[in-house]
Amino acid sequence: MKDMTETLLRVDDLRTHFHTFAGTVKAVDGVSFSLAKGEIMGLVGESGGGKSVVGFSILGLIDSPGRIESGQILFDGEDLAKASEDRMHKIRGKEIAMIFQDPMTSLNPLHPIGRQMDEMLRLHTDLDARGRRARCIRMLEDVGISQAEDRLDSYPHQFSGGMRQRVVIAIAMLAEPRLIVADEPTTALDVTIQAQILKLIRRQVREHGASMILVTHDLAVVAEMADHITVLYCGKVVERGPTRQVIDDPRHPYTAGLIASIPDPSDRKHRLDQIPGAVPDIRKLPRGCNFRDRCPRAQALCAEREPDLETQEPGRSAACHFPVEGGGT
Amino acid sequence: MTAMLEVEKLEQKFDVSGGLLDRLSFSGGRILSPRRVVQAVNGVSFDVQQGEVLALVGESGCGKSTVAKTIARIHNPTGGTIRIDGQEVQGLSDRELLPVRSKMQMIFQDPYASLNPRQRVRDIVAEPLLEQTGNRAEARDKTEALLARVGLNAEHAGRYPHQFSGGQRQRIGIARALSVNPRLIIADEPVSALDVSIQAQILNLMMDLRDEFGLAYLFISHDLSVVHHIADRVAVMYLGFMVETAPRDTLFAMPRHPYTRALLSAAPTLDPAKKARQIELTGEVPSALSLPSGCCFRTRCPFAWDRCAAERPALRDTGDGQQVACHLIDEPERDKP
Ligand SMILES: Nc1ncnc2c1ncn2[C@@H]1O[C@H](COP(=O)(O)OP(=O)(O)O)[C@@H](O)[C@H]1O
Ligand SMILES: Nc1ncnc2c1ncn2[C@@H]1O[C@H](COP(=O)(O)OP(=O)(O)O)[C@@H](O)[C@H]1O
Ligand code: SF4
Ligand code: SF4
Ligand SMILES: [Mg+2]
Ligand SMILES: [Mg+2]
Repeated sequence: MKDMTETLLRVDDLRTHFHTFAGTVKAVDGVSFSLAKGEIMGLVGESGGGKSVVGFSILGLIDSPGRIESGQILFDGEDLAKASEDRMHKIRGKEIAMIFQDPMTSLNPLHPIGRQMDEMLRLHTDLDARGRRARCIRMLEDVGISQAEDRLDSYPHQFSGGMRQRVVIAIAMLAEPRLIVADEPTTALDVTIQAQILKLIRRQVREHGASMILVTHDLAVVAEMADHITVLYCGKVVERGPTRQVIDDPRHPYTAGLIASIPDPSDRKHRLDQIPGAVPDIRKLPRGCNFRDRCPRAQALCAEREPDLETQEPGRSAACHFPVEGGGT
Repeated sequence: MTAMLEVEKLEQKFDVSGGLLDRLSFSGGRILSPRRVVQAVNGVSFDVQQGEVLALVGESGCGKSTVAKTIARIHNPTGGTIRIDGQEVQGLSDRELLPVRSKMQMIFQDPYASLNPRQRVRDIVAEPLLEQTGNRAEARDKTEALLARVGLNAEHAGRYPHQFSGGQRQRIGIARALSVNPRLIIADEPVSALDVSIQAQILNLMMDLRDEFGLAYLFISHDLSVVHHIADRVAVMYLGFMVETAPRDTLFAMPRHPYTRALLSAAPTLDPAKKARQIELTGEVPSALSLPSGCCFRTRCPFAWDRCAAERPALRDTGDGQQVACHLIDEPERDKP
């Protein structure tokens, strides 16, 4: 029998930096996490936290002036951080698929979608032309596109935003990838369409036994989708744990602050709890803890020493000298 | 008491036919020139009382911004009336509008696009007031006080918009709107582009200012948790129609229009287990270029029957300050899955 907690991806102390004229941007600075087979992990945090750069690093899509400085990205045992561009080219699409906020990142505006789907299958399967066509039609139907056979000849611009994202998901799933990296896949969509797409993504992932990293700024989306959450702040993991536990009982003051600043319809307050200040300039991070200028729990130690990500209890960790005690906020 | 804002049967159509040449097409040897008209707002009525927050919600393209811009007279309405503090404003010239502008100001989703990049912050903030009074000394003093009130300092006054973060730019936009002591602020997705921690700061600021100055807001948003937090009353739009309005708690506890119900059940929440019973929608919003007959929502409504295609439901009082445009009100026995 297959072990359910078998690890598919292990990211270990990943550092991805950008060397710009204005200084070095340590966009991802010592990030570690692991992802089990079949697991959906939410990668969350405010903009600039390094979420997308983590995703791009896994996909081998970091271009100059960016560079993976150190660390490992072990995908089924193979270190992608050291893989050649040729090897990554084979892995992308086939083993690891990606879905971005703007579906046009993945679609070619000049070709009908049927041709783009067919290419994916030609590259990654040995089906003949008829077999491929049948697969494409079935996949389009699967993602909720009606009259699929006719739509094969349509160009991307002939679809609405929500429909285009469905096409992207269909293409992504064709090769039966083992890992899907979805970066804000529904952020540009309306809520009723978002609900449809999230449901579709979850079903596709579960049915094919794939794993997924869902990158989003929206904690509510993660609450509905993910098994585990990893919270990033200034390029570092500040908290990790099972979704429900992290949301109901956050340990890191940043996670607690984020959750408290979302208006809660079942507990309406006249004023929202707010995190003071703003994310610091990543090129001029404070000494000690990156969150200390905004943290209500900060003490002298926080200015001296940067906290390490430490296990709080089995399966949960936080990087904080004075973590919020259990029992919720 | 006069309502701060009254909108009656507001209509906004945009002719997007293009030039004559674009319109020429041939059919059976005859030249046709079809007009293409976007029916963005289709007879919408609502009011905002003094000191009240009315939230306008609905998905993109449903006409929220068009309503806002038409009230702010960025567009001229193609039909209906708009009264601000009792005075009709449609058809007024720019000069006649000037005193009205001191009662009503607008803030936008993207403060960057709405702030002149070549102006310093102090000039941006002072501009509406100078337009009203021409008094530079007064404008200067007031600007300093306003910047302090929204959480910016004197040093910020000399900078340009690009030197600020998104949240700070929204503070500048708010200070500018406040400069003329308005009593109504039309806020079009003012926090939608901000990270949640910054969003909370801006929402708190807007609520504090409301308490302090007795402001009324027409607050446009697509985020229902934000709406629940800030609104006294909520108005739901779909495809340019108003489909439901109700006091906040009523709307969230007992939404009656099928679209409102679908919207509430689609919105992701931190606690999915507590979520309302799902009405799931399929399909997408029809084009505003060719509206469906009858009910605007019928192409996606799980309850639709033949009457819905034949007859457009009017927005009707259903008691307790709630108004709904749906035939189910007459035939509640059809309200079953
Ligand atoms: N190509 C690049 N050149 C320079 N800096 C970059 C580049 N891409 C990303 N960054 C920086 O890396 C940091 C993390 O960015 P990103 O991963 O996009 O954040 P998130 O997805 O969490 O919003 C930001 O400070 C961003 O400015
Ligand atoms: N200036 C314009 N010219 C033509 N069509 C427009 C214009 N402004 C808005 N529209 C159309 O009117 C409808 C309503 O748009 P809008 O008011 O921006 O919706 P919302 O703010 O709810 O997203 C849409 O179909 C949009 O494409
Ligand atoms: S280490 Fe200190 S400053 Fe950082 S989050 Fe914990 S308590 Fe706050
Ligand atoms: S009038 Fe008919 S189609 Fe429209 S919302 Fe009511 S039941 Fe649905
Ligand atoms: Mg990103
Ligand atoms: Mg809008």
